[in-house]
Amino acid sequence: MIYLDSAATTLQKPAAVAAASARAINNLASPGRGGHRPAMAAADTAFACREAAARLFHVGDPERVVFTFNATHGLNIAIKTLARPGSRVVVSGYEHNAVTRPLHALGADIRVARSPLFDQKAALAAFRRELDRGADLAVCTHVSNVFGFILPIEEIAGLCRERGVPLIVDASQSAGAVPLDFSALGAAFIAMPGHKGLYGPQGTGLLLCGADPVPLLEGGTGSESKRQSMPDFLPDRLEAGTHNITGIAGLLEGLRFVERRGVERIAAHEAALIRRMGEGLCAAPGAEVFLSGEPSVQAGVLSFRLRGRDCEEAGELLGEQGFALRAGLHCAPLAHESADTLETGTLRASVSAFNTGREIEKFIHAVWELDAAKY
Amino acid sequence: MLYYLIVCRSLTYAQRTAAALERAGITARVLRSPKSIAGEGCSHSVKISQRNLPDSLRILQRVGLTPKRVYITAGDGSYQEVAL
Repeated sequence: MIYLDSAATTLQKPAAVAAASARAINNLASPGRGGHRPAMAAADTAFACREAAARLFHVGDPERVVFTFNATHGLNIAIKTLARPGSRVVVSGYEHNAVTRPLHALGADIRVARSPLFDQKAALAAFRRELDRGADLAVCTHVSNVFGFILPIEEIAGLCRERGVPLIVDASQSAGAVPLDFSALGAAFIAMPGHKGLYGPQGTGLLLCGADPVPLLEGGTGSESKRQSMPDFLPDRLEAGTHNITGIAGLLEGLRFVERRGVERIAAHEAALIRRMGEGLCAAPGAEVFLSGEPSVQAGVLSFRLRGRDCEEAGELLGEQGFALRAGLHCAPLAHESADTLETGTLRASVSAFNTGREIEKFIHAVWELDAAKY
Repeated sequence: MLYYLIVCRSLTYAQRTAAALERAGITARVLRSPKSIAGEGCSHSVKISQRNLPDSLRILQRVGLTPKRVYITAGDGSYQEVAL
């Protein structure tokens, strides 16, 4: 099988990830819930994981690195801290339902900064326009999970800072895959999964906190137990209940892998694979490929359609040939509206540090054959 | 043996404190705070030897981790707060 669905979750992980999680099951207890050796070993692992994330994303204080169960969990904390019913919230035209559904549920006044695909200047202008109309909050994905479009997040963060508008960044597709600097952005929150570009197990995520958050869950934290309100300090304020320490142990190894290999190197590898894939698929007569003209604005995700083929059906056929990719709307109808693909959906191939050029050539060949079989 | 306990607001804060001391060559161990000094219930402390308190306080101040409460063990096993 050739795995091309890393935008959903990376399946090939560094060997140390599974080994660490397996070791954790029988050796790590609950961090902060006891003074015995397995509890303290778990605490050491959790702290090492916070420190590794703080280094990678330039967070000055590891207490501001909070464990979540996925990016959606972190986004819900962030959004429900900063948005209220009627809050005017500016979002990009490429947001995932993990952003738009919580905003809808809150009854926020959502203003979409619409812009054409792969046009960073237009995305920035749209944000400026919407922010200047007045905003309580901005939420922006760093990289579109459908098209791999890299939003100009540094410049958008600058606009928000100038206007005093708090910014939440959805780094689901960028964490570990594209350079990301928490301190430089000055964001209120950055949410990310642990199981995609950070190569941790599923059920892990991180929330980097620049603002003071409101807890989404209340419960035991192993601290200030006499009080019936949640602690007012991080990370305890947001980490009620037992941690996913087996996941955190794996995530630590994933972070170490990314740190060793280097985000820039991973980004360059993935971008090169996607460029080759896009150019190769363009040669198929029936293929419509969403490949940016400017390579620097597309990360390791590529969407395409095959004329006369339902995307789900095409995904199924490619799956039968051993290619794992995703078809449909990818939980991001807004992104499809922006690219005018809402009615058809797309096929999406996404890569990781573990994909190879040879795999991409096989995939291109398979799509060519599938396309040719239509005529 | 006499030792000091630096009581911290959270486990993570205690870990940061211990890490800063260890980096400076001072042996520091994170442990659950004794119930009598835990404050609002459960908390964690950093244990350091008696001779290391002045250096520890200087280092922690330098890295922005100034302790809020420090205790010293008494001969009868109780703890006495140290005025900082």
